[in-house]
Amino acid sequence: MDVWVQIVVSGLTLGALYAISTVGLSLVYGSMNMLNMAHGGILVIGGYTAFAASQWFGAPAIVSIVLAMAAGGLVGLLIFVVTAAPLLGSKNFETNIFIATIGVGAVLENSVLKVFGPYVKPQPVAFPGVLMLSGVAVPYQNVAILVVAMAMMAGVAALLQGTRTGRAIRATSQNRDAAQLMGVHVQKVYAQVLTLSGALAAISGVMISSLTSLSPTMGGDPMLKAFIICVVAGLGNTYGAAAAAIAIGFLEAGAQYAFGVRYGFASLLLLVIVVLIWRPSGLFGKSRIVRL
Amino acid sequence: MGEPLLVIHKIFSGYANLPVIDGVSLSVDVGQFVAIVGPNGHGKTTLLKTISGLIPVRSGNVVFAGDDITNQRADRTVEAGLVHVPQGDLLFPDMTVRENLLMGAYATERDSDVDARLADTFDFLPKLRDRQDQIASTLSGGERRMCGIGRGLMAGGRLLMLDEPSLGLAPIVIDQIYELIDHLKATGRTILLVEENAQRIFERVDRVYLLDNGRVAWEGAGAELMRRREVVDVYLGG
Repeated sequence: MDVWVQIVVSGLTLGALYAISTVGLSLVYGSMNMLNMAHGGILVIGGYTAFAASQWFGAPAIVSIVLAMAAGGLVGLLIFVVTAAPLLGSKNFETNIFIATIGVGAVLENSVLKVFGPYVKPQPVAFPGVLMLSGVAVPYQNVAILVVAMAMMAGVAALLQGTRTGRAIRATSQNRDAAQLMGVHVQKVYAQVLTLSGALAAISGVMISSLTSLSPTMGGDPMLKAFIICVVAGLGNTYGAAAAAIAIGFLEAGAQYAFGVRYGFASLLLLVIVVLIWRPSGLFGKSRIVRL
Repeated sequence: MGEPLLVIHKIFSGYANLPVIDGVSLSVDVGQFVAIVGPNGHGKTTLLKTISGLIPVRSGNVVFAGDDITNQRADRTVEAGLVHVPQGDLLFPDMTVRENLLMGAYATERDSDVDARLADTFDFLPKLRDRQDQIASTLSGGERRMCGIGRGLMAGGRLLMLDEPSLGLAPIVIDQIYELIDHLKATGRTILLVEENAQRIFERVDRVYLLDNGRVAWEGAGAELMRRREVVDVYLGG
């Protein structure tokens, strides 16, 4: 029984973490056909902003998280202004923006390296203590991650379904020309989406670093997993990505228990191979041909 | 005759390396029903896209309600009251019919105006009221076209540009679409219609522009075009 509770807790925590990392990435791809390779870099900025707010200025946890989200949102907006907006009309936008954001990601990571140094640091924004659940100690940190992930997903769903801005984002992702003909300022929608995605990436950076630690390269692994989840769910399907993230969290936790920790990531890669053979457009995706 | 609502003066436009519109001039007066006809692939859709701002104007100008809107962003053109119902509906496939209609009124600020227009649109197209919670991609071809027109009506603009609303539909559904257009005309709406099938519009429209290779090859009253059999035979295949 304890083991099962442990697996469920681990699976849910991992899934929630993955969901936070993935939703923003998926939202940007769904709206703009843009694979944002700087997503990991924004995650790093978020983690270190919370660190700086808490460690240097003594800000409480919630303020540090809000500042991290603001920083991430600002970086997302800058990515739109500096890279996406000038490339939007270009012939091979998807390829160009893919390459451009690799560069932006490198700039972000190296800026953090320059300011904070290369050494691993603990994330001061954390929630210490444990909750006893059926004889299993569940750290409050895990509970916080779950709560943040659920609040964030509910917030994104409410935004997309229940607001005028959300309708404009969905309309633009489904048909850009038609959205323009309805009066949607498409560039403004793209800026909003990248800002939102940046804020989500930043909060994900805070949560991941609070569970592990801070380092300038900490964004690589979550971004890779976020891509895996996006591919499994179907690129651009935001709700599918959230569902796939939770499922993949459970798969990884189960594989780690059954075969050992080192097989956790391998099981994800195996899943990607199986999904790509079985459904090349992802579990919830629609077939689409893109020339890169 | 009403005052001019849309005046286009010698516009040139096209795609990357492909010029399409070659010095077209036309005008639509308030309350008029004007049609652009011509063979497939000769620039009718490109002309509408140029007017609404989806394709840039290379030279010439577009004046709407007295304001120069040349190369104005498409979303601003809608705000100005120029509504474009594109070819093939371009509905938002994963949204419900109601959400699609609400998107039509996106540029409208006041909720009360949106509610009133939604009620009017449902009265005008009762089938949409029945289907309002249905996902747009599951509608039939005729229903999709009605939803596209309904979405255009939701914008509440001063000029409705309809791009081949009958394209690809069964004859019986085309009849229904034209009944709708007749009804729109009867309410005094100013309409600019693009149509390949000239036979459908002869008796309905106030003025016709015949577009050939991106140029206006002939213009005149609808009834006059009907009498000019040589024009119909050469350009519209009888």
